[in-house]
This record gives sequence, structure tokens and C-alpha cells, in this order.
Amino acid sequence: MAVASIAAAVIGLGAFSAPAKAADPVTITIWTFGDVIQRNLVAEYKALHPEVTLQIKKSDLDPLDGTNMVTACTSKTGPDIVATEVSYSGYWRSYPKCFTDLRTMKTTGEPTANIAAGLSASDIKANYLPWRWAQGVAFDGSVIGIPTDVGGLEVAYRTDLFKKAGLPTERGAVAKLWPTWDKFIATGQKYNAKLSAANKKAGMGFIDNAGTIYAAIMNQGTAKYYANDGTENGKLIYDTNPQVKLAWNTTIKATQAGIGTRIGQYTSDWNIGMNKGTFATILAPAWMMDYIKAQAPDTAGKWDIADMPGGGGNQGGTQLGIPSYAQNKQAAYDFLTWYLAPAQELKVFKTYGLFPAASVLYKDPALTGYTDPFFNNAPVGKIYAEGVQTLKPIFEGKLQRAIDTAIGAGLGRVAAKKMTAEKSWAQVLSDLKKVVNN
Amino acid sequence: MTKGERGKTSLTPWKKTRKPEAFPGVRSLNGKWGYLYVAPFIFMFVVFGLAPVLYSVYISFFHWDPLGSSNFVGLRNFNNLLHDSDFWLSIRNTFSIWGLSTFPQMFMAIGLANILRNTRLRGKSFFRTILLVPNITSVIAITIVFSQLFGRDFGIINDILSWAGLGHHIDFIEGVIPSHVQIATMITWRWIGYNTLIFLASMLAIPNELYESASVDGATKRQQFRFVTLPQLKNTITFVLIVGTIGGLQVFAEPQQLAADGGSSKQFLTLTLFLYNQAFVNNKYGYAAAIGIMITFIVLIISTVNFFISRKISNDGTR
Repeated sequence: MAVASIAAAVIGLGAFSAPAKAADPVTITIWTFGDVIQRNLVAEYKALHPEVTLQIKKSDLDPLDGTNMVTACTSKTGPDIVATEVSYSGYWRSYPKCFTDLRTMKTTGEPTANIAAGLSASDIKANYLPWRWAQGVAFDGSVIGIPTDVGGLEVAYRTDLFKKAGLPTERGAVAKLWPTWDKFIATGQKYNAKLSAANKKAGMGFIDNAGTIYAAIMNQGTAKYYANDGTENGKLIYDTNPQVKLAWNTTIKATQAGIGTRIGQYTSDWNIGMNKGTFATILAPAWMMDYIKAQAPDTAGKWDIADMPGGGGNQGGTQLGIPSYAQNKQAAYDFLTWYLAPAQELKVFKTYGLFPAASVLYKDPALTGYTDPFFNNAPVGKIYAEGVQTLKPIFEGKLQRAIDTAIGAGLGRVAAKKMTAEKSWAQVLSDLKKVVNN
Repeated sequence: MTKGERGKTSLTPWKKTRKPEAFPGVRSLNGKWGYLYVAPFIFMFVVFGLAPVLYSVYISFFHWDPLGSSNFVGLRNFNNLLHDSDFWLSIRNTFSIWGLSTFPQMFMAIGLANILRNTRLRGKSFFRTILLVPNITSVIAITIVFSQLFGRDFGIINDILSWAGLGHHIDFIEGVIPSHVQIATMITWRWIGYNTLIFLASMLAIPNELYESASVDGATKRQQFRFVTLPQLKNTITFVLIVGTIGGLQVFAEPQQLAADGGSSKQFLTLTLFLYNQAFVNNKYGYAAAIGIMITFIVLIISTVNFFISRKISNDGTR
């Protein structure tokens, strides 16, 4: 209760100083990566607020959310807004002192965009998908980030290649092929069996990379590598959590069944393979749709999107936060609440494919009725919305990124036939011991 | 030699009465001016060079968390490091990549320099200029292009190899030696022009008389290269080796761009990449500092060996 009264006091101060600031020219610095901050929306905001200048600095994800943010927080400097990817949210939720608690901020109000004055993060929380919101909440309850998007994860498949292999092509029938992961693997084997010897020799296969199944299954569970034991760090359970074993075993099974092409994602081979039809399926987060369009424009209309095996899926997603040493917190918060309001997230989805984390949109016909001609007019809004709503919140731990990397390397060793699954898992455990202990 | 000099100075004893002055007008300051001139460098060096080094020595004794609490662990980081198989693996990888990049490159650079030395070659300055282009190209760009060339399924190098019947779909990332070859090729591509110019410069400094007398003695072009050019390049070869070794121990961007974790079985995890990953991926800053200190020791050992070898070579030269 003491926290609440302090929060109220700070809110009062915020409201008092806000109107004076609004008219003064102000520069908001933003550290971001990829397509999180969209140029056309920035221009739109500039039109609403001529006094605001947005200075956007783009970096790669790992240096941004790792080194740069650690350096900024240690040296008590930093931008006004920073984009954090969910793979790092486990790390940053352990350091709430580096972020402004957004529950203590209050909007100045933006009548043209229908944003009322005096809204704190707690007031807008209801607009967003609950488990996705939780990824931006630190262990002490403070809100350190508001989600821009949720990754979602569905199966992107090539209708032309499915037809050639004698599989159904209609997305409802395709989803029925794989209610479970085992059925997905069986479908892959059926597809591969229909490939000609020449195509097999050319390295064709059912899915681009069987290793991607691991992350998909992990996100369908309720816990990853940490159990919430009420402490800041949580309890490490990577070696006992049955979900980890299930995801590992299923991925190994898929790998050894040979349904994958072993092409690594985001390599040049991947981009070429996408054009050549080397693989018929990709486990695709919503933000990947834009990547496929850009890399393989000639395959337009040949793709479609079907439901994931085992229910929904998620991979990635980003949130925007205000570092505790930001210079222009009020202006930053006003921009952030405008930029992440449902109306803007819908625009971003339609132009760049980042799927909105604002769950109030999931029943909005503007989203559910949205179809994409590149993906054979699939109702992508509806499919991804249904997928992300089946997921449950997962306790994100500090070393999640490092643990994911070590397990990913372990799967890679098996895929490259450098080690047996048992040996590789033993190596994963010894690698992780070093990550956790040394 | 020294005796004669001593004798000479004793002939002019009056000159010893006053110290030579750099700035006759400011007699009182004399040598102190020197400190003022080196001060900017010393200042920058202390702030950006020495202080971070000492600081990393300090944090190598800690379990260090820049954002949370840190505790003193004594020599535990070093003890863990010596028992960490990844550390030894990264030493192996670093030296393997160093060997694969340094020696073939040196042979090629000497060969190229020998061609460019030819007085009848047209467009000499053009070739000398474009040789440096790879050196000023961004490492990231080089890596992106080369990883496409070396692609397992659609890479042109695999196309050529399978056409020549030398291999099929060689995985230049998963294989240990293939991945080292790929990285070494990138390093060679980047540095060969630079080294060629160094060799060329020292070849052009070889007095023409040596070649003339060799040809009078009936030496063929090949023999001239073997018995005149190569011996005269000894010091340059040592220099290139030392610079190459220092660079070789710092190989980072190329493997990092291929796979940030150094490959699925850490087959191309180099020492510096190992350090970087411990610090900035696993957030083990103390451990990373300990790795940095171990790298310093390795460099010290190699420099000492280099020192003795180069001293031996230059002694051989004067004999």
C-alpha cells in the first residue's frame, strides 16, 4: 500500500509538470533494432507534435539489449526509449533499477488520437494480451516495458509444393494433418517420400530447419528454464522440466526423421531456398511474413498459413521501455503510449506484419478480417490472434538467452551428425553447468 | 668503434660545461618541456589504455555483476578457466586459424610482390592500389560475401568443388577444418594486399648490384629469387610474422559473423570470441577479464619467442 501512495504522489508531480513541457521543443532519443520503430508512424507523430524531434538509433539486437544497455545503466546515462526483445526480458526483469516504472508515469493526453490524459501503465494494461504484458513486468512488479508486438508462430506452407506431394492445400485441411507434433513429423515424412531422387539429392525437404521446432514447443508450455519460486532469480529447472525434455526429444525425432533441410535460418542458403522451393514449410512468427515477401517476391500467392501443431505458438516480440536515466521521460512516455496504442499497432501490422500485442484488437473486424494476398488471402490476423491467445504466461529467467544458445548448439550437433542425441545432451548439461556456475 | 668516439669527445672538453639546450630562450624549463609535449598522449593512454587494463586485472578476481552485487572470489576464475575445455578448444582454434591464414598468405604475398616488382609490368600503380581495397573493406561485408560463396547448398565454391569432383556439399560451417579454412580465407583476402606491399617495398630496396653480380655468375631468375631475394627479405618476413601473430590472436569479427556462439561444437570459437561471449552473452565479466589476462600471457610468451627468433635472424644477417 505504501508503494501505491508513493506512486500516487509521483503521478501528481508528473501531472503538474507535464503541460509546461508539452510546448517546449524536445528531442526524444530512441535505441531500437530492426523494424520496431516505423518511419511513417514517426512522421505521423511529428505532424501531431511539431515540437518533438525523434532521434532514432538502430543497432543489432544483441549489442543493443546486451552490451549497450548494460553500459548505459552502469554509467547512469541512456536514451529516452529503448526497445527490448523478449529473449532479453528475462534478464532485464531482474534489474528494474535500470528502468522507469511506467506505473508512475501519466499521459499528457492526445485528443486527436483519442488518448485521455492521466493514464498510467496500470490504466492501459487491459488493452494488451496478459501473458505478453507480463513479459514487461519486473520481478518486483514494476512495469519496465509495454509490448509493441507479439511474435506469434504459425506454419507458413507452400500450396503448390503440397499439391505436388499429394497433400491437401486448403488451410483448414492442412491444419488437420497435424494436430500433434508427431503427426507433423509423419506428414513431413510423407512429403519427403514423394520427392524425386534428384530433388532429394538437391537437399529438398519438408521444413526449412527442424531445429526450429524446439523453440515452438518450449513456448507452448508453462515453464522454461526457471520456476517461479517467489524470489528474484527463480529456481533453475532446465535439467528437470519435462517440457525441455519433450521439446528436445521431439526436435531430435524430427531431425532424425530427416524432414528438415538443415538450412540455417537467415543464411543466404535460406533466402535462396525460399525462392527455389527447397522447403515447403517454415514455422513463421508474424514478423517473418514481411521477410518472406521481401526475399521471395516471386512466390507471391503460393504461400498460405495454417495453425501450429499442438495449438498456438510464439517466437519473439518486442517491448518499449524508458530507462531510469532518460532525460525526457514525460515526452517519451507520451510518444510511447501513442505509438503503442491499439490503433497504431494495427497500422504497423498491416504495413510491416508485426502482430499487435494489443489484444483488444483481436475481436476487431479490422484485424480479424484482414487477409494477405501474398499468403493466398489467408486471414492472417485471425489465425495469429487465435494462436497467441492459447498460450500461457511463462516465468522468464535471467540466463534464458544463454541457455537457449547452449541447447540450440546441442541440437545443431545432432543435426550435423557430429554427436548422438545422448552425447549431445550430456554436453549441453556440462556447458550449462559452466554458464550457471563459473 | 665506441673507443674512437670516446676519444673524440675528450678532445672538446669545454663543450661539456653546458648542457645542450633544445630551447635556448627558456633555459630554466629545459627538459621539462618534454613532459608537456608527451602529456596529452600519457593522459589518453592512462585513461583509455592503462586504467581499463588495471581495472580488468582487478575484476578478474571477482564474480562481477556491473548491475548487481559483486563478490571477491580470489583465483577461482583462473582455476575454472584452466579446467574449462572451451578455453583449450579456443586456443586450438585460434592457432589453427592463425596457421591456415598466415603461411599460405605469406607465400602468396611474396609471389605477388615478385610479379609486381617486374619492371615490364604495365599498370603497376593500378595493381598496387587495388591490392589495398580488401583491406579497407568492412569485415562484416567480407564475411557476408564469403559466407555466401562458401554456402553448403548453393555456394559457388561447393559448385566448383563438386564440378571438379573434389567434394560434394562440404559444410564450411559445421566442419572443423572446413570452417577454419573459410575464416582463414577471409583473413587472407583482407590482409594479402597489405603484406604484398610490405614485401614489394623491401624487394625494391634490394640493391640491383646483387642481381647483376648473380647473373654474371650465371644464376637463373629462379636462383636469383632463391639466393638473393629471399635472404634479403628475412627481416620483413619476421615483421610480417609478428604482425600476423598479433592479428591472429585477435580474430573475432569473422567467426562471430559466421555464428555468434562459435559453431554448434564451438569448432571456430576463438579466444577473443570466447572472451566476448563470456562477458556480453553470459554476463560473466570477471571470468571474461580472467580470459583477457590469459590472452595477455599467451601474447607475452609468443612475443618472447618472436624476439629471440628475430634477434637470431638479424645476427645471421650481419655475419
